[in-house]
Amino acid sequence: MTFVEANTGEAVVFWICAILSVAGAIGLITSRKAVHSALWMALTMINLAVLYIANSAPFLGMVQIIVYTGAVMMLFLFVLMVVGVDASDSLIETIKGQRWAAIFLGLTLTVVLVWGIGSALAGVPAVGLEAANREDGGNVQGIAHLIFTDYLIVFEVTSALLITAAMGAMVLAHREHWQPKPTQAELSQARFLGAGHPGNLPGPGTFARHNAVDTPGLLPDGTPAEVSIPGALKARGDVQPVDIEDVHAIEEADSL
Amino acid sequence: MNAVVEAVRAVEETPWVMPTLDYKLLAPILIILGAGVVSVLFEALLPRAARRPAQLVLVFVSLVAALVSIIALQGSRSLSGRGALVVDGPGLIMQGTIVIIAILGAMLMAERGLDPSGDAFAARASALPGSEDERQFTARGYFQTEIWPFFLFAVGGMLLFPVANDLLMMFVALEVMSLPLYLLTGMARRRRLLSQEAALKYFVLGAFSSAFFLYGAALLYGYTGTISFPGIAAAVSSTTGQTGLLLVAVALLGAGLLFKIGAAPFHQWTPDVYQGAPTPLTGFMAAAVKIAAFGALLRLFYVALGGMRWDWAPMLWVVAILTMLIGSVIALTQSDIKRMIAYSSIAQAGFILVGVVAATPAGLAGALFYLIAYAFTTIGIFAIIMMVRDENGEATHLSKWAGLGRRSPFVATIFAVFMLSLAGIPLTSGFIGKFSVFTAAIAADDTWLVIVAVIASLIAAFFYLRVVVLMFFTEATDETAEVAVPSVFTTVALAAGATVTVLLGIYPQPLLDLIINAGVFVR
Repeated sequence: MTFVEANTGEAVVFWICAILSVAGAIGLITSRKAVHSALWMALTMINLAVLYIANSAPFLGMVQIIVYTGAVMMLFLFVLMVVGVDASDSLIETIKGQRWAAIFLGLTLTVVLVWGIGSALAGVPAVGLEAANREDGGNVQGIAHLIFTDYLIVFEVTSALLITAAMGAMVLAHREHWQPKPTQAELSQARFLGAGHPGNLPGPGTFARHNAVDTPGLLPDGTPAEVSIPGALKARGDVQPVDIEDVHAIEEADSL
Repeated sequence: MNAVVEAVRAVEETPWVMPTLDYKLLAPILIILGAGVVSVLFEALLPRAARRPAQLVLVFVSLVAALVSIIALQGSRSLSGRGALVVDGPGLIMQGTIVIIAILGAMLMAERGLDPSGDAFAARASALPGSEDERQFTARGYFQTEIWPFFLFAVGGMLLFPVANDLLMMFVALEVMSLPLYLLTGMARRRRLLSQEAALKYFVLGAFSSAFFLYGAALLYGYTGTISFPGIAAAVSSTTGQTGLLLVAVALLGAGLLFKIGAAPFHQWTPDVYQGAPTPLTGFMAAAVKIAAFGALLRLFYVALGGMRWDWAPMLWVVAILTMLIGSVIALTQSDIKRMIAYSSIAQAGFILVGVVAATPAGLAGALFYLIAYAFTTIGIFAIIMMVRDENGEATHLSKWAGLGRRSPFVATIFAVFMLSLAGIPLTSGFIGKFSVFTAAIAADDTWLVIVAVIASLIAAFFYLRVVVLMFFTEATDETAEVAVPSVFTTVALAAGATVTVLLGIYPQPLLDLIINAGVFVR
């Protein structure tokens, strides 16, 4: 059995990228926050891309960076940011013992895979890579050759998948209006007819001790103006309480 | 620099051989996928009122055209698309059945006479459940006609799945089939939260199982150096020594495909998805996905891995036994008719696996017959579940079915025939199906497996007959559901399901001849 030793440079690249990508993968599943998970995953993706390039697959490596790290992961982050970065999964088990069972089965699968792959591939040299890449004058040309000849139908059928995905996103997420959108004139009429506040809403922090967005502005009698706080903060319960002493002081000043 | 120039020149001197596509062999798939694209254009370009009629005409015309082109291919045994697809007898039979089931399924999906507010799909899938938007869209008679392009793409994937002849094609077909189904599952008109939960579960678990399939495919490629099934078969038969990688690959590929057919222990999604999905879609999915996925499973294990039957058969034995027993026993405890049918479908998958594991031409023929019989019965069952309603929509709780036979004897009798067929009582298609699968297994020396299967059938017969007893030998109460009068669509689908179920039970010979004449897979 011939065993081709990887040269030193390749070995160094492998050990650095392998350790970083596994670390990224562990970080991905152990992070409590979704954004952290996404960043860990980007780390894994980039390191895998480096490994692909080091293994004579430059096209795959570049696609990995452009599509996965560039497009998919960033889209993922956008979604997380828009939906809310605080959304973290509850870790309460609905089925008792589920976590231990999952860990046990996961480890079993890992052992089986490591045994299967390890026993089969130990000492197997990588042959034919150079020849495969040379055949059509390069890696990218070689892939193009395969996609447009042997795997033409698969390539074409993939378009059905993309159409479905795009239209599925539209159907599930695109909000239609069942009535015409109100014009600005109609909106202002509605405001003055009593449906809402006619003018600008009072700003937060006015006459209060702080001018932060979570501090309600104070009315002339010292009571907090509820409308000055954004609804999202109220829903989260993140509104600063008004110091009752201030209210009393204003009342006293009025009574004099 | 010179080396690059020379390499480029060398490439230019030997131009690529462009693949010759035999469009006749590809016609059924191209018609359906092409119709899917046209259907998307209809959504984009037609005014709202014109969409439904246009879509219905397109769907039925393209399905009938696909069926005609499949029949025209009868007797073909050849590769297509440089070996990515294979057109052979069993593949064509499965494609033909899928298209017929799709026609019946489309009729159920087009039904608008049962629900007072419209069809079985949400007026707008994007409106939040319970919101004012949802009420307004429903009251104003909006319809989500995008279900039709999704449906066509799903059918296209199903047609590709059983004729895929390499691992890459099989994976892409699996995804093309599944993705639209995940979406449609979440679009029920009533009980929308249940439906959306089902869609999410189906999607997440489906993606998980696809990853297993892909991992297995990568390992099998690593072992054999090819992804084409004939190539894999050659590599497997000439293998010596270390087979660890091969076994792991087969296990992972098997997990991916067994998930799709709903075999234990990969069956967990089935009850939730069957219950949550819009009922016409459940009927179509239960029947057609099973055929497509069994087709792929049969081709993978018979053609690519046929040379190592003794390695994969024990795995499928265990899966078949688990599937039959878990499906039958848990179905006993169900109180919702859709969940009960879901567990019944798990048990039925186990019975079909008994034929698959035989790995003989008789096993293949038995499994094919069973699949066809099961598909027509299932479509009929879900047509009736659509019709049995109360003021809140479909009355799926079993207590509402008590005394249905007194109130609507005709419909209840048809349902009873379906139940008897699933139980495998003689003179129904289910009996012939079980008989042919079990005899194939006995011929392959799996007698003990057949004994287990018979015991599971007896357990299963109990809950099938329980429904019959509930319908006919219980007094109707105020709780008993009404049977709504359907339009011509559901009536035709139900009539077709019932006719085939009885006909295949009394006179199965033409279909058996057709299947036996179709022969075996092209290797």
